[in-house]
Amino acid sequence: MTEKIQVQMSMYDKLQILSDAAKYDVACTSSGVDRQNDGTGTGNCKAAGICHSFAADGRCISLLKILFTNECIFDCKYCINRSSNDVIRASFTPDEVCSLTMEFYRRNYIEGLFLSSGILKSPNYTMELIYAAIYKLRTVYRFQGYIHVKAIPGTDGELIRRIGFLTDRMSVNLELPTAESLHLLAPHKSRRNILTPMRLVQNKMEENRQEIALYNKTPRFVPAGQSTQMIIGATPETDYQILNVAESLYKKFELKRVFYSAFVAVNEDSALPARTGEGPPLLREHRLYQADWLLRFYRFEARELLDEQNPNFNIFLDPKCNWALKHLEQFPVEVNRADYEMLLRVPGIGVKSALRIVKARTMGNLKFEDLKKMGVVLKRALYFLTCNGKMMYKTKIDEDYITRNLLNTKERLPDSVSGMTYRQLSLFDDMNFTEGNVLQIIK
Amino acid sequence: MKKVYVCEDTITGMYSAIYDAWIESRNDEVGIELRGQMNQQLFCEYREVTEASHKAVAVEHLIQKNLGYNCYWDIYHALLSGDSLKAEAVFHVMQEARHMEDSKKVMEHLTNADVAKVFELSRKVGNEAHLFIEFIRFRELQNGVLFSEITPKSRVLTCIGDHFANRFPLENWMIFDKTHKEFLVHQKQCQWVLVAGEELNQEMTERVSDAEAEYQRLWKGFFQSIGIKERTNPVCQRTHLPIHFRRDMTEFQTLQ
Repeated sequence: MTEKIQVQMSMYDKLQILSDAAKYDVACTSSGVDRQNDGTGTGNCKAAGICHSFAADGRCISLLKILFTNECIFDCKYCINRSSNDVIRASFTPDEVCSLTMEFYRRNYIEGLFLSSGILKSPNYTMELIYAAIYKLRTVYRFQGYIHVKAIPGTDGELIRRIGFLTDRMSVNLELPTAESLHLLAPHKSRRNILTPMRLVQNKMEENRQEIALYNKTPRFVPAGQSTQMIIGATPETDYQILNVAESLYKKFELKRVFYSAFVAVNEDSALPARTGEGPPLLREHRLYQADWLLRFYRFEARELLDEQNPNFNIFLDPKCNWALKHLEQFPVEVNRADYEMLLRVPGIGVKSALRIVKARTMGNLKFEDLKKMGVVLKRALYFLTCNGKMMYKTKIDEDYITRNLLNTKERLPDSVSGMTYRQLSLFDDMNFTEGNVLQIIK
Repeated sequence: MKKVYVCEDTITGMYSAIYDAWIESRNDEVGIELRGQMNQQLFCEYREVTEASHKAVAVEHLIQKNLGYNCYWDIYHALLSGDSLKAEAVFHVMQEARHMEDSKKVMEHLTNADVAKVFELSRKVGNEAHLFIEFIRFRELQNGVLFSEITPKSRVLTCIGDHFANRFPLENWMIFDKTHKEFLVHQKQCQWVLVAGEELNQEMTERVSDAEAEYQRLWKGFFQSIGIKERTNPVCQRTHLPIHFRRDMTEFQTLQ
């Protein structure tokens, strides 16, 4: 590698460059582990995670999300730091990372550190640097808060193992849902290279669990589990394919989270979708997250939500409403008798309200007013529920009728996508609605 | 005649009122009102409550023993809220619990209006306290103390003390509640304490350490650069981080 001439850069400029380069990583969560401070250092962890601020794009700021360096030998088409781009390059030293983390943490700006990196020289060389930084942070600065480290595909297993004992969460980015897309857009990465460290972390975590059962003081290995992320909308996969990939990651790799990141065009490249005036596919990303929650907390399976014939989500209705409308034979459900699983499947009832219902109904019969107080969204749930055998209003159990009414109540889309309501006027789903498709249909 | 007990809006005051009411008229209709937030009613007998810490301790034990810790947690949080009829609702919950087979499950009885009210108040205070755990910003004073000012609606200080004491055991820190003029003070390697009735030394808290300005600048810079321009969305930001929190937060104070 050729030597570079580097002008001395101020801390402020470095932080600007390296946080700007890290902002496209979505996984800014600090959840999954409860750890008390042992009285000799700074910091603790809360299992639910804590957000400390919200940036102008409405996304939470929980961790000090930075790259260690944005120099990179890889040339992934979608990435701002790819080797063929001419951007200003900067690197932190381990000490700078430590003092920045500590001082921000003391002021309650952040919940911990998220350290990712471009690839300097080789994956192993870069991960060694990252290891040096977090080792110092944990042992010299006695930092006991949250640390999330990105593992670089192609790193040695031994190095991953050592880093795993210092961090709370590790993640390897899947980047793209299928191996073909990966080959197309990230020529230096391969599916095998990505899945190997993922499997390694999974096996090591399992081993660690058994060691802890045997001896409680064993150091914890990646206690908050691992996560991954996929870019949505850069390649032609359907929602059904993406959701299936996510489901198998949850089942086979025991991931804690799969993140979906709407593709933001930062580079011009023939392999990438052409830049349009529409901005990133935020509604699609939102639907995927809704479905992801259904997989993780509502005991749904991917094949229940979508299939080969309907491979993409409905843009008008959320996945749960959509499912309920297709399975009207199972409704209405009697609130005072239905089992917990079935309550979870009723649109308008969430995990918390389902739990409250199950508890409260042992004290007496529930009425619709009570449901309202428990946080059930009645304007959606009323078509699918009975209380003591009666529905709230006289309604028909008919797909068209309920669909019409649900559409009238207006789904409260989160503000992250509500800027896009104009899109809902289209008759086509979000994914396939391109000029070319429309022309084809008209012909 | 319905008895109405009048007390101060403090935990000790309200527990004392509950103590008196419980002893004298636990089987009757009872009202508890807070001094300064009263609605005078006809056909009532008003009684002044004498505050005493032994009364508060007794009521605390009574609740913990008979209603369980979780219920005590809800009641305590409800009493920290800004609602004027909170103590009365708590008393009614305690009365309701006497009719139940398992009094520890009283908070699950959400069809009862008073239980629902205490539940809601507790949730409100708990949520607000959580937001302050997120949004409190410390600044380092010249003497090394981490200092923060907040403007909460409920008295959240006691709810967040444990969190920060556990997080920063080796720091001296202080949080000042501007609404209720209370301080939460933590001395290095000690328990936190709640201090009321003291004046804030403005001049002292304005003198920050040398490194402070630089870290504030770094944080503000980070805050700007971490947002994705293509996804800018002030409404979403406002939902998660309402405007009234922002005046006490470093990143929303104008760049100097």
